[in-house]
Amino acid sequence: MPETLSSKDHSLFRQVVHHFEMKQYKKGIKTADQVLRKNPKHGDTQAMKALNMSQIGQLEEAFALAKTALQNDMKSHITWHVYGLLLRQEKNYEEAIKAYRFALRLEPESQPIQRDLALLQMQMRDYQGYIRSRSAMLQTRPGFRQNWTALAIAHHLAGDLAEAEKVLTTYEDTLKGATPHVADMENSEAILYKNTIIAETGNVERALEHLEAVGYRCTDVLAVMEMKADYLLRLDRKAEAEAAYTALLERNPDNSIYYNGLIKAKAIPESDHKALKALYDEWVEKNPRCDAARRIPLDFLEGEDFKQAADAYMQRMLKKGVPSLFVNIKQLYGNPAKRDMVQELVEGYLSVKATNGSAESNGDNNEFLSCTYYFLAQHYNYHLSRNLPKAMENVEKAIELSPKAVEYQMTKARIWKHYGNPGKAAEEMEKARLLDEKDRHINTKAAKYVLRNNDNEKALELMSKFTRNETVGGTLGDLHEMQCTWFLTEDAEAFLRQKKLGLALKRFHSVNNIFDTWQEDQFDFHGFSLRKGMIRAYVDMVRWEDRLREHPFYTRMAIGAVKAHLLLHDQPDLVHGPMPSGINGLDSTDENQRKKALKKAKKEQQRLEKVESDKRAARKAAAANAKGADGETKKEDSDPLGNTLVQTQDPLKDAMKFLTPLLRSSPQNIEAQCLGFEVYSRQNKHLLAVKCLVAAHSIDPSNPTLHLQLLRFRKSLESLAEPLPEKIDEVVNAEFDKLLPKTQNLEEWNESYLSANKGSVAHVQAGLSGRQFLSPESKPQCEQDLLTTLDSPDITIDEATAALDILNRWGSDKAAYAEKAGKKWPESSVFELN
Amino acid sequence: MVDIVPLSSYPSYIDLLPSIQTCNITNLPENYFLKYYLYHALTWPQLSFVAVVRPRGGYKSSSTAIAGNVAGEYPKVVGYVLAKMEEEPTDGLQHGHITSLSVMRTHRRLGIAERLMRMSQRAMAESHRAHFVSLHVRMSNVAALRLYRDTLGFEVEKIENGYYADGEDAYAMHLNLQNMWLDWKAIEKRDAENNKEKNGEEGNEDEGEEVGDLGKKDAEKMIRVKVGRGLGVGDLVEKNESKA
Repeated sequence: MPETLSSKDHSLFRQVVHHFEMKQYKKGIKTADQVLRKNPKHGDTQAMKALNMSQIGQLEEAFALAKTALQNDMKSHITWHVYGLLLRQEKNYEEAIKAYRFALRLEPESQPIQRDLALLQMQMRDYQGYIRSRSAMLQTRPGFRQNWTALAIAHHLAGDLAEAEKVLTTYEDTLKGATPHVADMENSEAILYKNTIIAETGNVERALEHLEAVGYRCTDVLAVMEMKADYLLRLDRKAEAEAAYTALLERNPDNSIYYNGLIKAKAIPESDHKALKALYDEWVEKNPRCDAARRIPLDFLEGEDFKQAADAYMQRMLKKGVPSLFVNIKQLYGNPAKRDMVQELVEGYLSVKATNGSAESNGDNNEFLSCTYYFLAQHYNYHLSRNLPKAMENVEKAIELSPKAVEYQMTKARIWKHYGNPGKAAEEMEKARLLDEKDRHINTKAAKYVLRNNDNEKALELMSKFTRNETVGGTLGDLHEMQCTWFLTEDAEAFLRQKKLGLALKRFHSVNNIFDTWQEDQFDFHGFSLRKGMIRAYVDMVRWEDRLREHPFYTRMAIGAVKAHLLLHDQPDLVHGPMPSGINGLDSTDENQRKKALKKAKKEQQRLEKVESDKRAARKAAAANAKGADGETKKEDSDPLGNTLVQTQDPLKDAMKFLTPLLRSSPQNIEAQCLGFEVYSRQNKHLLAVKCLVAAHSIDPSNPTLHLQLLRFRKSLESLAEPLPEKIDEVVNAEFDKLLPKTQNLEEWNESYLSANKGSVAHVQAGLSGRQFLSPESKPQCEQDLLTTLDSPDITIDEATAALDILNRWGSDKAAYAEKAGKKWPESSVFELN
Repeated sequence: MVDIVPLSSYPSYIDLLPSIQTCNITNLPENYFLKYYLYHALTWPQLSFVAVVRPRGGYKSSSTAIAGNVAGEYPKVVGYVLAKMEEEPTDGLQHGHITSLSVMRTHRRLGIAERLMRMSQRAMAESHRAHFVSLHVRMSNVAALRLYRDTLGFEVEKIENGYYADGEDAYAMHLNLQNMWLDWKAIEKRDAENNKEKNGEEGNEDEGEEVGDLGKKDAEKMIRVKVGRGLGVGDLVEKNESKA
């Protein structure tokens, strides 16, 4: 039986609750101890003590105590509620919901429990549960608008638009015609929210009608205008739509979507370039400083018209000395004729200026000239118009005229990058950084280039110039805290290139954790946004969170992480640190050599651990009481080198943590599908492996990576150690036969792939890999053919670099290839073998 | 080609938040957690704007069934303005504040910062009836100073010594926005006309009482929630519904 408290102890208990609410956790614990001295088994007090403890970083102890509390008093809503709150803190949401439910059963009228349950249901997207909770809350307190809105949100997100709208209308009816004040933002937003719900039903007519009736009193004027214009256009009410888009452009002439709307409303045919140009010219006249109206016509104009317009546009920008001209022009280069015309025009400016530049004052002319050289440098550096020697020549001239221009020096570094010389590129970017040491943008670039050159340490040092280095964990700690995903991802990729897998995994996991945090971040807003009344933004946020990992930042990180795990699976020796390439290769049978390298790697690993622990000791001494930005004392990372991650028993299982969300969020990414195949085939999960192949095939049937995978899978089906279970065998064969029929002669299939794709080096490389795979005795010929691809006029330096990896996989000698490639790209460093 | 679009009003470009955060940490020393951006986007969704490079061939989902749905598109972010309303104005006057503004070095001098600012200023005046907008700028940042003072018409209010973490002083600047306020009288007039019409139609004499109090929260207590960092951000104050 639970203990009962004396009235004095009961009032002490109430104090504990009060202390918790006032965030006086230590006082709360102290007072709880007072009660517990006399009533050592009082469940509610134990629970409240636990709750206070959980707020000051003693989550583990709190958990133990909360469990004891529950044992002492299973019939108390407090013990269950607290248990649920602790589970939530641990992010064990499913169990937390169960605990809240128990608590609510014991105390059905409790608002706080009901609210906590509702918040979690929202977080878990348990919409049916959320609807139930919200209905109950509305019944208890129908006087609060937010309770109505919340129920409407619940129905809306659950997909019941009609019910959502009905709830909102019911509330509006309770106002009985009394109009809330214009300044009532909650009302203004609720009205617009209702309008978006109507629009989502697809009944645009009704949405427009509603908007016209109430939109005039919504203070988010821009949103009302956007919605109205969109509805009118979709209803094909052209004259009104024209007026609506005109009004939008008058507010913001820098939005191409508005021009598109206006053109549709005016029914100007896409082919009527003259009318289109006239329209844009009108807007240039109205907004002489606006870029969009000047720039957009270059997209559709052709031939001589294009030339004239491009000439006017570029000359104006160059005369003004706008450095950003090229980023606005390069999008035109998908059209080769335009690309060539731009080149001709800008080259032309130089020859004219060279002869009659004296007419203008020298200073202006210098700016025009340096801008023009700069433009050409970027032009010849761009992949669709690349001519690196010309790029270099132009950038040198620009730098000569303006030696302090950061952009020019940056471009020089980029040219070196494209030359395939990351070391030199980093060096040149460092020079750019030194031109403006207070600018973080150039500092960022310098750090990035250093990372591309695999110098992680130097990169961190550069980053430290703009971080709060007193944070726990130093510079890196601050970068984690500020969620600097770009750096962590680049850092990881650099470690992966160096086969420093512990650190690579460490960083990939950090980025993954940041995404987890971002998902968690929404929790507070489930309550907050209802109080603020900004419902449209809230609903958009909820939907965005559901597709959070579709963001390219996630895709890139996850792909790298899966690759790192695959590498670790294939080369388990890498757990001790990087090994010289070839040692792990197929050909290497020299056990002595392997042992030697292993010993060396282990020694290096020990050294790194020592360095890291020294650093930590130094930081500890420097800041005995370092605190994080939020005032909490942060613990040092106990595994800064990622040893526990790399020492995993099952790298493929760990890879799933990244692969599963990756395939779910980005099924259209062919690299993701191909990586999925690699993981599943190693796990002998044939069904899932073939599913990835099917998906990849539907994206691009002739993808080089896929081609080789199809061959490998066919071969592996032919040589299974034991036959697949009948049903699986049936499905796998049926599906795979559609991609590569069993009856197909593989050599012939591979050769026809080669001849069908001989124009693309990447495809030829895949075909050669296929040939080498099918008949290992053809290796010398394959190596020879691979060497020949270097004579292709189309081969890029990236493709040539990829060939080195291919030779690695074949267990071939890379010297001949590297030498020839090195001659073809004399400025490069990537073909220097060490 | 750069488009200036709203961050979290309509259409919502909230998918770009991670890219905006990266734009910030690439360019500026004052950085924030993503939650701080979320806090802005969800408290004052009308005030923040983003500059994106228009994808070649336009936005793919601009013709989907849901109006203004740009979900799942990730155009390159080259600039943003993150703005808010001052929560506890010392003089009691509603006013806006620019938390952060940045344009990528690669996209300078295209008028992007100016457009971002103008959009935000107008929204502050219309949505929140802001008397003025305030901001801080490094004294050494000549280009920004030129934009605020010469192009946009800001005035230097005072100098704040050692405002930035590295010890640099800031100009505290502000700009009056009252000229862009909505005409509430006109709106109320239209309200009255509508009501008359409705009442006439329905023959209903019920004028309705002021229900301004409806929906107000019970006794509120303040809790301090820390979700950002950097000077000038300080602790954020949010109101919390009573736990009763």
